[in-house]
Amino acid sequence: MNRREFLQCAAILVSGCSASQLGLALSQEQQVYLATAPDYITTEVNYLSAPQRRIIAAMAEIVIPRTDTPGAIDAGVPKFIELMAADWFTEGERAIFEAGLRDMETRIPAQYGRAFDELPADTRLGIMEDMEAAAADSPWYEFGNVQRDFISDAPFICQVKELTIYGFFTSEAGATQVLRYNAMPMRFDGDIPLDPQDSTWSSDGLI
Amino acid sequence: MIPAEHYDFDAIVVGSGVSGGWAAKELTEKGLKVLVLERGRDITPGPDYLGEHAPAWKVPYQGKRPRQLYEDEYPMGKRVYALSERNRQFWMNEKENPYVVDAKNPFMWIRADVVGGRSLLWGRQTYRWSEQDFRANEQDGHGIPWPVGYQDIAPWYSHVEKFAGINGKAEGLPQLPDSEFQKPMPWMALEQTIHGRLKKKAPDITLTNARVAILTEDLPGRSACHYCGPCHNGCSTGSYFSSHSSTLPAARATGNLTLKADALVERLEHDPVSGRVTRVHVIDTRTRERSAFSARLFFLCASTVGSTQILMQSRSEAFPNGLANSSGVLGHYMMDHTLGMSGMGIFLDNMDSYYYGNRPTGLYIPRFRNVGGQDEDADFVRGYGYQTFTIRTDWTTNFNSKGFGADLKDSLRKPGPWIWGMAGFTECLPFKSNRMYLSNKVDRYGLPQVAFEMKWSDNEVKLRRDAARQADRILKAAGAVFAMPGDSQDLTAEQMSLPGEGIHEMGTARMGDDPSESVLNKWNQAHDVPNLFVTDGSFMTSASCVNPSLTYMAFTARACDYAVKQLASGAV
Repeated sequence: MNRREFLQCAAILVSGCSASQLGLALSQEQQVYLATAPDYITTEVNYLSAPQRRIIAAMAEIVIPRTDTPGAIDAGVPKFIELMAADWFTEGERAIFEAGLRDMETRIPAQYGRAFDELPADTRLGIMEDMEAAAADSPWYEFGNVQRDFISDAPFICQVKELTIYGFFTSEAGATQVLRYNAMPMRFDGDIPLDPQDSTWSSDGLI
Repeated sequence: MIPAEHYDFDAIVVGSGVSGGWAAKELTEKGLKVLVLERGRDITPGPDYLGEHAPAWKVPYQGKRPRQLYEDEYPMGKRVYALSERNRQFWMNEKENPYVVDAKNPFMWIRADVVGGRSLLWGRQTYRWSEQDFRANEQDGHGIPWPVGYQDIAPWYSHVEKFAGINGKAEGLPQLPDSEFQKPMPWMALEQTIHGRLKKKAPDITLTNARVAILTEDLPGRSACHYCGPCHNGCSTGSYFSSHSSTLPAARATGNLTLKADALVERLEHDPVSGRVTRVHVIDTRTRERSAFSARLFFLCASTVGSTQILMQSRSEAFPNGLANSSGVLGHYMMDHTLGMSGMGIFLDNMDSYYYGNRPTGLYIPRFRNVGGQDEDADFVRGYGYQTFTIRTDWTTNFNSKGFGADLKDSLRKPGPWIWGMAGFTECLPFKSNRMYLSNKVDRYGLPQVAFEMKWSDNEVKLRRDAARQADRILKAAGAVFAMPGDSQDLTAEQMSLPGEGIHEMGTARMGDDPSESVLNKWNQAHDVPNLFVTDGSFMTSASCVNPSLTYMAFTARACDYAVKQLASGAV
């Protein structure tokens, strides 16, 4: 259930029907067999403006570029970031995200004469490296600080990196073409050769 | 005895989880007409396993948990690793079905809300108790003696293991008797390396397969594991034991089963003249309609807290403090296992080896402290075991690296070092002050909300400290290049897992020989009410350190056998 559906449910909940009737009706309505559901990134969202979408896409592609394998844009990461910022972020996280985007929209053209996404790739990279250097003291970078939902006061650059990397490696392109994906291995072998160039299994959601 | 045709059913089983499913199977196979009542909604195995085999890109937020929703509606459930949008439909909504949480000393009560109960979500770890476990209370004086020993239960362990399907490796240890095993799951190369080092440098430690209710060989109607990984999303091939994959289909096949979902049991009705339970009163959770069903036998298998709650709600003139509670111990002596990470090590061995498939369990280190007698250096009684897990690190463990571009992408896609972690599961002693009770608050059905008072004792704290100390020794012997502490070696009770967080709550209707100190006799039969049996975790007189579900299965099957014989002889 995404935030919109949740809000719809909440609206029905406060409208006065009995919880038991509602519980049944809603739980059936929400039930989706996920393996055959549409991809998450096909969810409709109208949160960012067209210029903002171009900036986010350009930033995501700097984090994970297309090489001989798909990159962030190929994997639908810009849409993922927009969905997560709109539906999953807390208000505080969204405020940081929006302030960061405003900064990209105003500061970069003032300083460089063009929108971020129209700058040469090495200039874009330099800008993001400067942003990372300025954020270097954030706990986001602490070794091993990865077992958590999200760091709520993480700076904008860290938000973009985390959503890009997460969105990429959990996307179909990232999981199947950059990592290795096999939902039905049928057997377990605890000792197969690993070449230094081999990727990990896509293990999201597995224990 | 009243003739059978005067009853709606021969037996009524409350609950359809691990214990209820077994009661349904055993009683129906012995020819009884059985009604199973389950408060959760019914589901169809397979189609209702909504998240089974769903790749991350199909799942809301690509697998990230919706934080506000979980905070509002699953504040305890969100502490459990298994809860996700892939299986949330199995879980009980805590906001709609509240219990009283003491903010200072919270108790974590985790519930499912579907037919099959927590058998769909459990960790599947299955270990026999040993004679030492059954003797612990009488030997160190905590709690009351068990009325049974290992030899009483061993045949019933075999009985349930063959049907449930347990894989593991025979080790011949007195403190952890072997089960009827299917072939064990293979090991990773690093695990073999660690095993070899421990044999030399820590010979008191046994590293063996976790024993789990997952098939490695086909059973009728069920397939060997296909190693997709996350069992708790449901398994349409029936490869792990759940009521849906195993016991309920067997019960249905007899033609003797009636299963009623959305049926919340309000109370049992006791007839003071016959001294028997005569009827069960039920609320339909959808319509709020009330109904009642009669039977000759009643089995409470509604989980420890659920069954105890029903007994407490079943007050009468004969039993003003709750049905079958002439002893006054009902609700007391609550136990749970404490759990947590005792230590983790980083390993650089076998870097050129990898694995194929997702093995849905790890390895196990059985209890090695106070085995066969009190260790001289132990300032605690009882013991603990470790569930261990082996992880090859990937992007999820280093995504917060600095840098951008092709180099970052390339480093994130490749495996890093190995991590071998040790999660200690420690025994909990029975104390009267640890209890559940009915509060003055009511839920949406007008039934009392359950409340808890439970704190870890000094012994549990010392066990956890020792588990952390010993984990450090074992990790070093295993060859970890870096041993990261889990629990502190001087941790306090406040730093431990919450009471209930082990999801092994047990003991609130304990069994014993003395009716003034226990609710149940050695057959799980209420001392006070001969046609009432309780076979979920509430019967437990002590906790051992091993996961309890296999023991619930064995005692349930044994109680069913006894109850049917009593019924045949006219004694019940």
